[in-house]
Amino acid sequence: MSDEKSIRDRLRSPADTSEANSGGDSRGSDVTESSFQQTDSAAVLAASGHDEEQRGTPHIPVGQAGHARHEQLSEREARRAERKVAGLFMLSVVGVIGFVVTFFAAPFKFAEPNNIWFTPLLAIFMALALTGIGAGAVLWAKTLMTDEEAVQDRYDFASPEDARTAAGQAFVEGFEASGLPRRKLLRNTLLLGAGSLAILPLPFLLDLGPYAHKERLFRTTAWKKGVRLVRRNGTPIRLGDLALGALETVYPDVPGGVFMPDTPTMLIRMEPSQLTPRTGREDWSIEGHIAYSVICTHLGCPVKLYEQQTHHLFCPCHQSTFDASNGAKVVFGPAARSLPQLALALDDEGYFIAQGDYSEPVGPSFWERS
Amino acid sequence: MQSRFQRLSGYGALLIALALVGGLYTAFLAPQGRAEDNPSTQQSANIAKGRELYLQGCSTCHGLGLQGGAGGPSLIGVGESAVIFQVESGRMPLKYGTVEAPRKKTKYTLDQIDQLAAFIGSHGGGPTMPKTGLDDGDLQQGGELFRTNCASCHNFAGKGGALSYGQYAPDLSDASARVIWGAMQSGPENMPRFSDNQLTPQEKKSITRYVEFITKSPQPGGAALGRYGPVPEGLVMWLVGITALVGVTLWIGARA
Repeated sequence: MSDEKSIRDRLRSPADTSEANSGGDSRGSDVTESSFQQTDSAAVLAASGHDEEQRGTPHIPVGQAGHARHEQLSEREARRAERKVAGLFMLSVVGVIGFVVTFFAAPFKFAEPNNIWFTPLLAIFMALALTGIGAGAVLWAKTLMTDEEAVQDRYDFASPEDARTAAGQAFVEGFEASGLPRRKLLRNTLLLGAGSLAILPLPFLLDLGPYAHKERLFRTTAWKKGVRLVRRNGTPIRLGDLALGALETVYPDVPGGVFMPDTPTMLIRMEPSQLTPRTGREDWSIEGHIAYSVICTHLGCPVKLYEQQTHHLFCPCHQSTFDASNGAKVVFGPAARSLPQLALALDDEGYFIAQGDYSEPVGPSFWERS
Repeated sequence: MQSRFQRLSGYGALLIALALVGGLYTAFLAPQGRAEDNPSTQQSANIAKGRELYLQGCSTCHGLGLQGGAGGPSLIGVGESAVIFQVESGRMPLKYGTVEAPRKKTKYTLDQIDQLAAFIGSHGGGPTMPKTGLDDGDLQQGGELFRTNCASCHNFAGKGGALSYGQYAPDLSDASARVIWGAMQSGPENMPRFSDNQLTPQEKKSITRYVEFITKSPQPGGAALGRYGPVPEGLVMWLVGITALVGVTLWIGARA
């Protein structure tokens, strides 16, 4: 019977039972409300300085509301439960022994393939050791311990009246002692100093406006006329280094060029007959070599998945697909603009150089971009 | 008559002695491996054997003179590396036309593949790879080069990935060093070609060593979950770990 009652029922004290609900079903909401009201009113009473005895509703002493859960557990059942708990505790001993034995008897060596069980075995034994203690303790509490539930009132939130008065007085006295009400110069300069702090974040706000774009930060990169194309290890690329159907990631030969976020470029070589350059860009490619920015015009992922037969450049993030043989125009996906193209030329020694910066700003759109 | 017999027996004795000396030389003194024995003879024998294999297995599609034909491109000038990649990875002979030739069980022995490669390589040249030391490179350099040149399609763990219109970059787990070299040098299907001027043979060795390292080294942590990294690990943690924890919590909260 007592096992089937809800926790809410058992929160009630025996004293409540008669007045709250005379029926057998005692799960009415009024019971819970009254117990909350009790706490609230206790706080109110404490704030107004009343004694505990004057509280309206009966207080539930700690410990009296509990019900022993397993009164009916026979001695035999209790013994069996005890053996179960002891078994779980012993399991953790087994886990510890197994862990130590595994650690010292089969030392781990990385390259040996027969050691694949080392780490998993350690984990299994450690799990046994921890689970044995934990599960044993839970089972112990569930079967053998007497199960009592108790109610403890909340503390009052407010401090006592005299402490609050003292704090207020200390504040007022401190204000007087600082001399601020009398020393006008001190007060005014303090106000001025604190007020000027408000100007501090303004330069950051300025960066959001047109001032920042005077340098055309988003519109230009480190590529300039005559800058050589180099590999990641800094070596320049000669005409003929790339086979037909090759892709090479190149960077500008300027200090730190390999690490700049907006300069990575793909140098692609295909049959010159397969290229259909855009109007006005006929001399931007050299013998089938053509260069595009790596950065996707959709959200800035690296578009380096080049298919040398279809000439598709595929973005792994959102499947935007560009046609490298046709000015990197979008053939599929959410990108709205083709990849910026880098005009190529050769210097006197036969190395690839850039004719200038990209044809348009690299990367995803931004507000002021026309 | 007798003198003629004597003369003949003299020739016979000389022949036997020569055979004996030659046999002893071959058995005890000749350097191991037939290729070094007489490279040009070995090469021409390989080409002849390769021609037979080619006529039987490849000429239906690629033509009797490697000129290409119904369903198969010309093989003139593709080079030994392309043959080694296509045949050793089982992609050739092709079963049926799909978007992309899938990796299959290899149909030829390594010797036969070498013979085929020698035959096709003798038509128009093309890239070749070293015979030994294909993965004799620097692991760290290989990692950097792999991430710069290969990882965008083949995944940073060499697991492959999707391309446009149903094509894909294959998983590298089963690729041998020769297959990796063949792919880099020949640029099969949609893979870009990496000539020896672009990635030097030393750099290719480093990449090969790195690919073998990430795909074939032991997995000391137990189940690697495909080595895809934090995404499947997190998924398993949420699905298995959190479910188990919820179960334990229910058990703790339940009445005995």
